[in-house]
Amino acid sequence: MIECENIIKSFGSPPQEVLHGLSFRIDDGEFVSISGRSGSGKSTLLYLISSLDIPTSGLVKIDQRNLNTMSPEVMHHFRNVEVGFIFQFHYLLPELSALENVLLPARNLNLLKEKENLARELLDKLGILKLASKFPGQLSGGEQQRVAIARALIMKPRYIFADEPTGNLDSINGKIVMDILREVNQTDGTTICLVTHDSGFAAMAQREIYLVDGKIVNRERVAQ
Amino acid sequence: MFFLSWRQLVTRKKQTFLILLGISFGTLLFVAISGIQLGMRKYISEQLLNNTAHILISSEERKVDPIKVTDVLYGENGMVRWISAPSGLREEVKLQNYNGWYDLLSHDPRVVDFSPRYIAQAVLTNGKFDTAVNLVGVIPDKHVRVTKIEKYISEGKFSSLKGSNNIILGSQVADDLGLKVDQYVRINAGKGNPKTFKVSGIFHFGNEQVDKSMAFANLLDVQVLTKNPGRVNEIAVALFDIDISSEVANEWQMISSDKVQDWQEANQSFMEMIKVQDLTRYFITTAVLIVAAFGIYNVLTIMINQKRKEIAILRAIGYGPQKIFELILYQGLVLGIAGGALGLLLGYLLCLYVGSIELSIEIGGGHTLWIAYDLSTYFIAFISANISSIIASIIPAHAASKLTPMEIIRSD
Repeated sequence: MIECENIIKSFGSPPQEVLHGLSFRIDDGEFVSISGRSGSGKSTLLYLISSLDIPTSGLVKIDQRNLNTMSPEVMHHFRNVEVGFIFQFHYLLPELSALENVLLPARNLNLLKEKENLARELLDKLGILKLASKFPGQLSGGEQQRVAIARALIMKPRYIFADEPTGNLDSINGKIVMDILREVNQTDGTTICLVTHDSGFAAMAQREIYLVDGKIVNRERVAQ
Repeated sequence: MFFLSWRQLVTRKKQTFLILLGISFGTLLFVAISGIQLGMRKYISEQLLNNTAHILISSEERKVDPIKVTDVLYGENGMVRWISAPSGLREEVKLQNYNGWYDLLSHDPRVVDFSPRYIAQAVLTNGKFDTAVNLVGVIPDKHVRVTKIEKYISEGKFSSLKGSNNIILGSQVADDLGLKVDQYVRINAGKGNPKTFKVSGIFHFGNEQVDKSMAFANLLDVQVLTKNPGRVNEIAVALFDIDISSEVANEWQMISSDKVQDWQEANQSFMEMIKVQDLTRYFITTAVLIVAAFGIYNVLTIMINQKRKEIAILRAIGYGPQKIFELILYQGLVLGIAGGALGLLLGYLLCLYVGSIELSIEIGGGHTLWIAYDLSTYFIAFISANISSIIASIIPAHAASKLTPMEIIRSD
């Protein structure tokens, strides 16, 4: 469970407030979209609740653990095992094959052998098993994003944070990615926080957190 | 992280190759210059040690001191204005107390053996031709124990000097006088009548200066020839441990007015030259390795800038700063090890090539340079290449490890 209490985030000097005292909760197994216009603070909010960034003030807790006070070692382990990230620009390592990219989180814990079968299963499930030995430069944008999704899923994380995962894809590939995320949420009970500016994709989530100028409006709209 | 480091290096083939070349060039240079310099030094050292052994005890030249003469003749308060002040040598150059030295050296456990010598100027004559030489009177059995003279005997045997009135000539002396083994030569040492010696051998040091100006004879024969019975003006001493030469020489100098020098002191100008050579060698190599290190630094820094997104994702999926540090540092290490090893190989091959070039001058009996293949040189070269690579990698590696995912994501 993710809990946010009155979080404020400012940037620059003099400080400019981007998020203004947000408080909300995301329960385990939820599929939540964070949407809003460009500059509304949705990516900033995602980075705060995913441990990549810290708020200027306020509290972010995941499973009762305060992210602000978590030790670096615990934080690295948390990101490695319990969290999966998907970015708009997939961030695959170009010198590694698709399979090796998927296994990157497992490599950090010396679990390559244990996870290789799962990696192949994931690639198969995502329809790109035959591309396992290809390098990112040899894949299309949609294929690369599917490799990034497999990488996010390889440790069977409890949370997936996705920042505009469909932003760089055509509508068909965007739909495929969204279907995969929804399936992971439904079958594995993985909590998913998805940032998107596409209202269609946002509506596919169970709940939408809609931001306007760093504030939540029309909050907790339950998806039909 | 080694796997990732390796993949990143292999992916950037051109950059990696250029940096490898830079490091290997520095290593190659050190190995090649060291091989040539140390080989030359080995040759010259052997020549010098042949002459001085580890310690050389020689007679101090004592000159007439006008003030002391005044004191002796006219008392300390005597006021004398010399029109022509007394000058010149006080006595013939000789060791003050050879028997004392004999006793000391025979009982010192650090001494392997010693070779008393009497060196006289002599003119050798064969028919119409004559040439001046330093005639070195030695005890053959002792001399072969403190020098490598036997190695340089090209004809005859050094032990032939045990026989009476035998002489071993430098190869150039024999050539100049047209003499061969078993022929006879007349020797005039200035005092007494000239004597005839039989040429019993020829030595060839491969050093023209020595080969054309030196001859060996039995110590007793030289003493008789010069009418200086029992006279010795040098003792060459061989120690069990060459490294204590200086210490032992200083110790003996305290108890005698004769000049006691270790082989380095006796050949000071050569030792100075060695120091300058060493400085030059280390300076050149350091300069090349610094340039190579800057190359590594630049390449890694550029690489980090190009790989910021990848570093961000690695950090985001749980790779800590230490892992990122290792990712960059391993690349520097691989470059250092591979570049160093390549440099050693190329340096070795270059040494082999340089050592096979035929020269018009003669060096130590051959016409090629003496090349040293000391393991220590290769070890130092390899370690230097690696240290410079590590230092050059630590700074960018540290900078990369400090990057947080958010810094990178925001800057993009």
